[in-house]
Amino acid sequence: MSQGRTLTFNIFRYDPQEPGDKPKMVKYQLEEAPGMTVFIALNMLREKQDPSLQFDFVCRAGICGSCAMVINGYPTLACRTLTSKYPKGEITLMPLPGFELIGDLSVNTGKFMRELAERLKLWLHPRQDEIDIHRIEAPMAPEEAAKLYELDRCVECGVCVSACATKQMRDTFVGAVGMMKIARFELDSRDARSVEDFYHVIGNQDGVFGCMTLLGCQDNCPKDLPHMQQIAYLRRKMAGALV
Amino acid sequence: MIMNSKSMQSHHIHYASLGSPWSAKADKIQSATGIMLGCFLLAHLHFESSILLGKEAFYHVVQFLEGGLFTSSGHGMPIVTKVFSIFIMLVVIVHAAVALRRFPAQLGQWRALRRHMQGIKHKDSHAWFWQLVTGFILFFLAPVHIFTMITNPEIGPHLSAERVYHANAWLLYALLLPAVVIHAMIGLYRVALKWGLTANRRGLRKVAKILIIYLISIGVLSLVSYLIIGRELTLPITPFVP
Repeated sequence: MSQGRTLTFNIFRYDPQEPGDKPKMVKYQLEEAPGMTVFIALNMLREKQDPSLQFDFVCRAGICGSCAMVINGYPTLACRTLTSKYPKGEITLMPLPGFELIGDLSVNTGKFMRELAERLKLWLHPRQDEIDIHRIEAPMAPEEAAKLYELDRCVECGVCVSACATKQMRDTFVGAVGMMKIARFELDSRDARSVEDFYHVIGNQDGVFGCMTLLGCQDNCPKDLPHMQQIAYLRRKMAGALV
Repeated sequence: MIMNSKSMQSHHIHYASLGSPWSAKADKIQSATGIMLGCFLLAHLHFESSILLGKEAFYHVVQFLEGGLFTSSGHGMPIVTKVFSIFIMLVVIVHAAVALRRFPAQLGQWRALRRHMQGIKHKDSHAWFWQLVTGFILFFLAPVHIFTMITNPEIGPHLSAERVYHANAWLLYALLLPAVVIHAMIGLYRVALKWGLTANRRGLRKVAKILIIYLISIGVLSLVSYLIIGRELTLPITPFVP
């Protein structure tokens, strides 16, 4: 641990709310502390140097998915990125591309995720005969529950969307987060939707057949979700749906 | 009026929300034709590189592939090459038609792609960019080569050398070789991951890289061989017979 060295941050600054403001890169310097993450550094910068600096965070533990940003060219979570990872001590921070910019490093991933959930109907659609509150729910096999839980680990940080060149070129593309959630309900035995129903949602250029397997999602996902396997699974499933 | 526009809108949404079986078909066709062309390229480059083992080796490869076993003279029939070239041309056309879906055809899409490449470091996305560039180049180079093989399908140690050296096809091949090898090998790598044929991505990437270097090497070496053979030939040439 290189203690006490000076870190140089190049941070994207732009406030769309402020009339006349133009996007620019601003340089900040800060003394490194042991175990420092980019998230800690940003809080120190805001506290001691520039209270106007905008960035998002909630949990500081890689669970809420709020602090995703592009760090030296890699979209990832600031709270899980140690500053000691950068031997030169130079760190460039950019907001996640592909989302509405709130200001500086803060982007509106929530708006995107909500719209996506409404568009893809990302909630459980129970079978008609099971809508009976007096009936005891059928237990789920532990293997199935484990499978679903694995996919439910997504924190909606938006990294997969920003890392995807396909999504950047095609605004309506659902991205890995959309497909991961569809796969989650497709695997759920309680969900009434058939393969054909899912085909009508993602069996198109905006869904699995628009994905070019660039794998930016797979390589950058901070939760290490199996995007590559999951999208391939969905693609095979959808390819056999309407034949 | 308001009623009307509303009902039109709901009709439109309903229509657009239905999936078309052609979305799946187009994707399957692109992958299938891509695999066919990629595998064909692997075989093709090895066949033509048999010139590195001598004129006789190449002659026998051509003789075998052109059905020399079934002719009374024992020589191959160029019509086989002609018919096969027409088939390959058709596969290329189908592949190009469905692969067009991937092109950033609008300037805005192109700029988004370039901006993304500058802002985000990601090797597979960059590899796709080169596949895109080489794919575009192949629109112009591949048909020229295939058309030549349809109109003048004669192949042989001297006949091919004449084409390369005296008809200046070396220029076409020098440009076509790296473009088609890069495009095809990155394509085969991606198609395997795309349908989940393998999960060993690291190994596959290594194989693709090695194949790119290897195929370009044997391609360049055999091109040089044809140039050397062609330079020693006087026009009109006599076909090589062992």
